[in-house]
Amino acid sequence: MTMQTTSSGRGAIELAGVVKSYDGGETTAVDGINLKIPDGAYCCVLGPSGCGKSTILRMIAGHEDPTHGEILIGGENVVGLPPVKRRTAMMFQSYALFPHLNVRDNIAYALRVRGMSRSERYRRAEEMMATVQLGEFAERLPGQLSGGQQQRVALARAAITEPRVLLLDEPLSALDEHLRIQMRTELATMQKNLGITFVHVTHTQMEAIALADLVVVMERGKIKQAGPAREVYIAPRDRYVAEFMGGQNVLRGKVRTINGVRATMVGRGEEPIEVAFDGRHRLEKDETIEIAVRRDDIELLRPEKGKVPAGKAAVSSRIVGIEYQGNFVKVMLDATDDVAFIAFVPERRFFQDPMKVGEVVYAAWDVEHAHLMIEP
Amino acid sequence: MVKRSDLFGWLAVSPLLLVLIPFFVVPFLVILAASFMESDGFGGMIQTFTLDNYIGVFRSRLTFDLYYETAKFAVITWAFATVIGFWVSYFLVFHVKNQLLAIGLFLLCTVPFWTSNIIRMISWIPLLGKEGLINQGLMGAGIIDQPLAFLLFSNFAVIVAYVHQLTIFMIVPIFNSLSKIDKSLIEAALDAGSSRFDILRYIVLPMAKSGIALGSIFVLSIVMGDFFVVKVMSGGGSASVVGALYEDVGVLQYPSAAASAVILTLIVVAVVFSILRVVDIRREIAR
Amino acid sequence: MSRSATAGTPRSGGRPWTFYVLLAVFILYVIGLYAPMISIYILSFQDVRGGLVFPMKGLSLHWFVDLFTQVRTGDVKGSFDRSIRLAVLVTVLTVVISFLAGMAFRRRYFGDTAVFYLMIGSLVVPGLVLGLGIGLTFNFLGMRPSWYTSALGAQLSCTLPFGVLIMFAVMSRFNTAWEEASRDLGASPLQTVWLVILPILLPGLVAVALFGFTLSYDEFARTLQTAGTLNTLPLEIWSMTLNVTSPALYALGTVTTIVSFVTIGLALGSIVMIQRRRAQRIKNEA
Repeated sequence: MTMQTTSSGRGAIELAGVVKSYDGGETTAVDGINLKIPDGAYCCVLGPSGCGKSTILRMIAGHEDPTHGEILIGGENVVGLPPVKRRTAMMFQSYALFPHLNVRDNIAYALRVRGMSRSERYRRAEEMMATVQLGEFAERLPGQLSGGQQQRVALARAAITEPRVLLLDEPLSALDEHLRIQMRTELATMQKNLGITFVHVTHTQMEAIALADLVVVMERGKIKQAGPAREVYIAPRDRYVAEFMGGQNVLRGKVRTINGVRATMVGRGEEPIEVAFDGRHRLEKDETIEIAVRRDDIELLRPEKGKVPAGKAAVSSRIVGIEYQGNFVKVMLDATDDVAFIAFVPERRFFQDPMKVGEVVYAAWDVEHAHLMIEP
Repeated sequence: MVKRSDLFGWLAVSPLLLVLIPFFVVPFLVILAASFMESDGFGGMIQTFTLDNYIGVFRSRLTFDLYYETAKFAVITWAFATVIGFWVSYFLVFHVKNQLLAIGLFLLCTVPFWTSNIIRMISWIPLLGKEGLINQGLMGAGIIDQPLAFLLFSNFAVIVAYVHQLTIFMIVPIFNSLSKIDKSLIEAALDAGSSRFDILRYIVLPMAKSGIALGSIFVLSIVMGDFFVVKVMSGGGSASVVGALYEDVGVLQYPSAAASAVILTLIVVAVVFSILRVVDIRREIAR
Repeated sequence: MSRSATAGTPRSGGRPWTFYVLLAVFILYVIGLYAPMISIYILSFQDVRGGLVFPMKGLSLHWFVDLFTQVRTGDVKGSFDRSIRLAVLVTVLTVVISFLAGMAFRRRYFGDTAVFYLMIGSLVVPGLVLGLGIGLTFNFLGMRPSWYTSALGAQLSCTLPFGVLIMFAVMSRFNTAWEEASRDLGASPLQTVWLVILPILLPGLVAVALFGFTLSYDEFARTLQTAGTLNTLPLEIWSMTLNVTSPALYALGTVTTIVSFVTIGLALGSIVMIQRRRAQRIKNEA
């Protein structure tokens, strides 16, 4: 690959006790972050707006300095260094392409400010344009490009500096739904080709799950959970992460009985729900706990067809809504008070014996599949 | 400790201060100092401390007449400029649907602003004069048989010249603030059964307020600080605060001129700042 | 009116009566704005018999020749020359200083509100009062007022606040991410200013220049006490209004208006050209 970087500068990132506060400590955007991102990883920082994720990105980039703490890239503390010295490059939200420069000059900008001759920098820019399939648009101004093309220009403009870390601030938010999925794939390909660390900030969990080796979920300046995408998705630490990552139903209850690695809890309906737990947890009687049950793990059973099978837990509830989704059917139940309790029923299975709104059913799942969360 | 943003700010704004301090702050302080001195009668000043100049200004019956006259011109001009400015802007923003045409017509209104005020003032002579076009026309049509004398070299002419020069200061900011109204808001209000008058009262006027305030600052401060329009267009029949001040300067009475300059400046600044309390123009312009 | 200026109400087909009333107001306003000026331009082309009012007597350039040759009309040529030079000087300084101040005002800094109010004060203070103050200051310091010192400062005290206010409006449309992107790509602060900020802000700076030039070129009240012994053009016109009663006065009006219009044309033309040139590249490619 022509775009493979010479990897003398390794792109492992470490944040140690990073704090960013404004107005002399009155507002804290980032509140004591510790995080390690391995070299060459695709890391997604996920959270609602205002959670401090962009601030983290900007501190790694060198556009803001942390109030406290250290930021290490390739083992070297980079706090106080300008972006070029860090060998990071940033792709800005809505790209910040220079409106007065055409595609070629936008891409060659970094080389221009380094004093490279016109012919040399244009040669390098042509190469870069070829890799991102922009060759025919060299003379266009950013205003004349589609969203997807703009994103490619932004990527090429950042990549030409041969960074060891590429920082992406909501890179897909300016695109429409269809294009977003297409460009998501392009980002993944690009990251593989470049072989450098990507840190990607987003508020869309789908993006994070699809792209990331490492997902970092944030809330109000703190990291809630960091880990591989699958781990964060199937084993959320708490309700916040579970609800933010989606695909989960959260049930809250009080521990009633404890028996080895099994316990029962009672939730809203006073029905006992069986819960599996392992050595990581120490449960006590009457403690409030929360479990997460994946929507696609839930099976709907008609009460008249007998009892819930052994090894399964269940809550009885009324169907309040049914939505056809194509490959599955989304069934909404009233098992929880605040948010809807949702089951994703495979399309074929649902229509073998369709249910109706208003019916009372058991929503059942394998006890082993429910996830007991660490922090209720 | 000096913050980096402060340092940059002061560095970048220092050329501005290097002009404003010697050419605005210091001159005003010098006037202030001069207003407490005595004239030696030959254009020089005796460095003492006296309040006589202020007492002289306040004792004079003329002072109040001058301020009354100037205030009258200011208020009348302001009223005409506001009414004309508002309706012209309203027409351009809400009645001309073609955006390009609206901008073209807007530019048509602003072009004269970039030409000489004095020329625009004297250009009324061939129209308003005794043998001017208006009198010729009216007499030709048989409406009058004596030329109307009040048209030129009168208070009427002063107002005409002011309105001619200053309405643009209302049109630009009002046009700007009306342009920010979301047109779909008005359509929604119409669909909800609001009358055009309701829309004017509850949507358009509140939005125009900041533009009117900004325009008022320009119109009022210019009229209050003017003397040559009054001098030329009234034909010497009317006086103004600054005109009187200018005559003091002409006879080298610097201390009394300085005292009335201080009073006038304080009044203008008070008027402007009371308008500024209503509208945050810095935010308004940057919006 | 163009065809596209259609319905006054979005729902009904015809225009409401208010449209016609306001159209009449607008047309009357534009006539009032232009008619007097146009009439003096016309009257300035009379021949030697010409007077100050209509009807037009003959057609010639007599009064223009008269303007630049007759001693009794004063030093028109010299003052014209000075006014242009002063206006160019004021324009350059206004653009540079307003740009820097505009950059400063993008972020808050200690004392920014005080500087802002100082600026507003400088803008609204009566021109003659300021001129008097500057004159007295020079007097106290034992310096002689002249058009390139005291008058220059007096004019800047009004063009700069205007320029900075325009910069506020221009800067509000400037995305700070452009600057950060430039820094991110390794540009020094100076390179960022030169390669990114200035080119993007260029149309706005042209507007500042236009204001600077025309405000200076037509400035009267602040210059009156500060120009020293040599007049600028508006001062010359002023003294002419008091003692010249021939169409030479109108001829002067025509000449200075031509200068103003050329300036406006150059400014608007260059803004359009900047935008065209940016669009042109695409055409070339096609």
